[in-house]
Amino acid sequence: MDHRPGPRRRARLIAAALLVAAGIVTATLWPRGLRPGRGSEPPPQPIAFSHRVHAGENQIPCLYCHVYARHGAVAGVPSVQRCMGCHTITAVASAEVQKLQGYWMRQEPIAWVRVFRQPDFVFFQHRPHVQAGIACQTCHGQVERMDRVREAVVLDMDRCVACHRAQQASIDCLTCHR
Amino acid sequence: MNVTRRDFLKVLGTGAAASVTGCSAPLPDKLIPLVIPAEEVIPGEATWYATVCRECPAGCGMLVRTREGRAVKVEGNPDHPVNQGRLCARGQAAVQGLYNPDRIRQPLRRSGTGTLEPVSWEEAEQLLAGHVARLQAEGRPGRVAVVAPLVTGSLAQLIETWSQAVGGRPPLFVEPLAAHALRAANRLSFGLDAIPSYQIETLELLVSFSTDFLETWLSPVELARQFAAMRAPRAGRMGRFVYLGPRLSMTATNADEWLPLRPGTEGLAALGMVHLILSEGLGAGVPAEEAGRLRQLVAAYTPEAVERRTGLPARDLTRLARSLAQARPGLALGGGTVGTTRSATTTQVAVNLLNYVAGHVGRAIQFGPTSALGRAATYQELLGLVQAMARGEIDLLLLAGVNPLFSLPPAAGFQQALAKVPFVISTASFPDETAAHAHLVLPESTPLESWGDHTPWDGVHGLMQPATTPLYQTKPLGDVLLSVARRVGGAMAARLPWATFYDALRDRWRELQRRLAPATPFETFWAEALRRGGVWEAIPPKRVRLSPAVFRTTFVEPALSGSQDDPFVLLVYPSIFRYDGRGANRPWLQELPDPVTGMTWESWVEVNPQDARRLGITQGDLVALRSPHGQVELPAYLYAGVQPGVVAVPLGQGHTRYGRYAQGRGANPLALLPAEPEAPSGALPWLATRVRLTRTGRRQPLAIVGGSERQEGRGIAQSISLADLLRDHGAGGAARPGAAKDGADGHKAPPLYPPHPHPVHRWGMAIDLNACNGCGACVAACYAENNIPVVGKEQVAKGRVMSWIRIERFIEGPAERPETRFLPMLCQHCDNAPCEPVCPVYATYHNPEGLNAQVYNRCVGTRYCSNNCPYKVRRFNWFTHKWPEPLHLQLNPDVTVREMGVMEKCTFCVQRIKGGQARAKAEGRKLRDGEIVPACAQSCPAQAIVFGDLKDPQSEVARLARDPRGYRVLEELNTLPAITYLRKVQPGPLGS
Repeated sequence: MDHRPGPRRRARLIAAALLVAAGIVTATLWPRGLRPGRGSEPPPQPIAFSHRVHAGENQIPCLYCHVYARHGAVAGVPSVQRCMGCHTITAVASAEVQKLQGYWMRQEPIAWVRVFRQPDFVFFQHRPHVQAGIACQTCHGQVERMDRVREAVVLDMDRCVACHRAQQASIDCLTCHR
Repeated sequence: MNVTRRDFLKVLGTGAAASVTGCSAPLPDKLIPLVIPAEEVIPGEATWYATVCRECPAGCGMLVRTREGRAVKVEGNPDHPVNQGRLCARGQAAVQGLYNPDRIRQPLRRSGTGTLEPVSWEEAEQLLAGHVARLQAEGRPGRVAVVAPLVTGSLAQLIETWSQAVGGRPPLFVEPLAAHALRAANRLSFGLDAIPSYQIETLELLVSFSTDFLETWLSPVELARQFAAMRAPRAGRMGRFVYLGPRLSMTATNADEWLPLRPGTEGLAALGMVHLILSEGLGAGVPAEEAGRLRQLVAAYTPEAVERRTGLPARDLTRLARSLAQARPGLALGGGTVGTTRSATTTQVAVNLLNYVAGHVGRAIQFGPTSALGRAATYQELLGLVQAMARGEIDLLLLAGVNPLFSLPPAAGFQQALAKVPFVISTASFPDETAAHAHLVLPESTPLESWGDHTPWDGVHGLMQPATTPLYQTKPLGDVLLSVARRVGGAMAARLPWATFYDALRDRWRELQRRLAPATPFETFWAEALRRGGVWEAIPPKRVRLSPAVFRTTFVEPALSGSQDDPFVLLVYPSIFRYDGRGANRPWLQELPDPVTGMTWESWVEVNPQDARRLGITQGDLVALRSPHGQVELPAYLYAGVQPGVVAVPLGQGHTRYGRYAQGRGANPLALLPAEPEAPSGALPWLATRVRLTRTGRRQPLAIVGGSERQEGRGIAQSISLADLLRDHGAGGAARPGAAKDGADGHKAPPLYPPHPHPVHRWGMAIDLNACNGCGACVAACYAENNIPVVGKEQVAKGRVMSWIRIERFIEGPAERPETRFLPMLCQHCDNAPCEPVCPVYATYHNPEGLNAQVYNRCVGTRYCSNNCPYKVRRFNWFTHKWPEPLHLQLNPDVTVREMGVMEKCTFCVQRIKGGQARAKAEGRKLRDGEIVPACAQSCPAQAIVFGDLKDPQSEVARLARDPRGYRVLEELNTLPAITYLRKVQPGPLGS
């Protein structure tokens, strides 16, 4: 008995194979450019904090507020206490600073909306990057020119690897995935 | 419909986008910093706290690794004198007590309808204080009783003061596994009511009479470390170990010789050896007068008489006695099941006499420091309380974290007596059999959430600090007692003036500071003690003389209940993982395979294959065990390591109310035991009854981990005789050139791929099979460190256990006298790894530092790698496993939690390697040898595992890789493993 598929069935098989192939091609191309402009729209934050004013106009160093970047894995969002270090006396008339003071009075943490994120299987460490003298802007964009921070740089693996190659840093998978 | 190519791709693209986004769970999208940052805490970096392990009375020092306020891992404290940095599987599982999903989360009070209902602490404490005050007002304070586990230090003082202030009975500090008979025997033999310390590191010969010191006896981590040191070949010699007893326990499998004897006759064997030593004049140090009286005492125990009664050949006895008398130093240990027969005390006296005549007392046995176990209330004292309860003499019973309904035989009548007590308070952290009968449940915070101190040995003052804030509305016992005293007021409040238990603790440590470091300011002393985990002082040993009382001892064989028609002697032994049952609600301790049987999630009855054949019992048959006191049903495990006529059942399972992991598993063998205590010691005899075995006709599927027990000539776990080792390599054990195989031996085919360059590091490991005792601490540590899921009994039975490291047990020689070899098997990180070339997506590859890497986000789950791995160390995620809340808080944030469809395996703890490298880089220095320690090596009580850089010829691991005992498993396959195993050394028969 002939077990070979009939012409109809064969056509269907070919169509299915094509579909799968097309899916693979699309999925491969996806991160490169087909993806809609992720992060082009900056998310609203509980307080209209401006990096432009702080890091730009007043030239406060990034690490003054993101204190953990040179010590550990995460850069850290400043505590309410750190904000209040200046804003007990600085710009106290501003409505947004008064919002901040409200949090401080209530001893309530501020739920900032996250802008930059890596997936769970990526173990990014700020410390070695800061120690290697990589400017924060390399990955985070010209934050000092932004009122509301947006994901100006898409932090995908492509970008990480390109930079690691250029800097002759390790491109071993285990550097970031474990 | 006319679909253009462009439209088709668009539709396909959207579909792909939907499936891509649909794959990943939504991540939290808020960054919420603290209002005020915690001092000295860097997010993403670990903070360590020193404390004391309270999973058993041994009191090992522990370091708790916390991340963002969560306790993620516990490790041994290297500064602590008891465990010196090592920790057993039970200790590792302490975090699963803290994050146990079945914890009692707030106080409970029995309502009118009989159920336990949540109640506020205010109300609960007021209720207890009201009862206490009423009893005091009515002039009946003596009707208050407190039963606590064996706590020492500040909490013991506080409980004692509280009980006195109430006017109640003296509190009972109970510990089911305290060596009561040993203590009673020391009282009789030496006039010292204490449990001594043992120095076994330098022994020439160790003889154990059924004492499972590597598993549960006294201080297993401490003794395992000493034992490994004793067994290490040094200057052409190594300590020898002989085990006498009816069951081949894990400890016994580590012996050079197992000499089986009839259950309960260990004392007679010891007396036979005393007889021999005295009659041959080998007891040189014994004063003539004592020797004469002792000779009289043991006159009846000629080797031949002993052979008739114990089944131990006279020839073996003679050989052993002579060797023990000549060993300098040597030691005989009595404990374990020997300590729980109906003649346990006299058996221990016999062992004491043996040590005395052989000249080992005061050398390998020292009374100073002595163990806190010597202060545990006996079973008899507890029975006294039960009888008082039954007579209605107790109005208020405070059960401070003890579970007598499980740990006492039902024949003791605790349940009936409990019903007679009008007000029962339990401070259980977990629901248990006893708490289910309480009127008020005041859940205690777990040790990892509490302040405290513990003194396991005189002079070892361990300090406990909370590693996390309490997870739920629980309170430490000390705080509850102080709060109740305040509410009662009057004289009681005056005697307990502290606001919190923390204040009481510090006051006691002020006394310690005045005594031990008078020149140091208290705050400095306190901070240093917190950092180190305690303070230690040297305790000089006492001089030991034989007490005249010992000459009046009458030695008898232990009586057994049940008629002679009941064919089997029941031997109950504590489980290495579940202990007396307290570990049964920790999922790791259920899933870890028992070292001897490989059984998981179960209890069982060990039956000798000869007996089983006679009764028609096969493995997995559910059999009924009947004694005059009760009946239980258990699946049979056929084991040649129990003597014919003996059946053995582990303690620890058979819980009915101990949370989801413990409930409905196996049976509690205490149901078979009589309630009468052993006379001089007051201990509960576990080896006390005969039982009858009947087939029920039903079967129970068993989840046994492990394949063949036999190596079938594969040479996986190798050994070498001490003589061969010396002949081949000289007494110094110096490396002979070419002795360590380069892995290509016997494999002539050229490799298909070029060798890996390893420009900087080549990570490798050495595992000493002569040190490994099979205890499984490494396996538990690996589960904790690497987020390894617990899969449950059904999946284990299907071979889907996820452990990255397993202890393989191989048996050599005849089944009746087996020689056991344990071999920890984990990914060998081969240089020529069979798994790598078969991966179609490059998810597994050889990294530049020699690691066989597994990239989870690349893996598509073909399982080709596992299929091609000759070591069978790769594990596939058949499911996305769940960690029931709050167990997920234990997950290590440095390691990916794997999902369904992904392959995984040992990474050599790559997160620790990367962490160590980052630390060294930040400090601008090179990595130090021994700086990076994987979780398995860190935990190992025997220090059998060494990790390091093979590229550095000076490193310890490189040195061991060149060791003459070194070999690689299955090296004929040319896999070029990074793990060197060191052959087990066999010193040969005693007297050779």
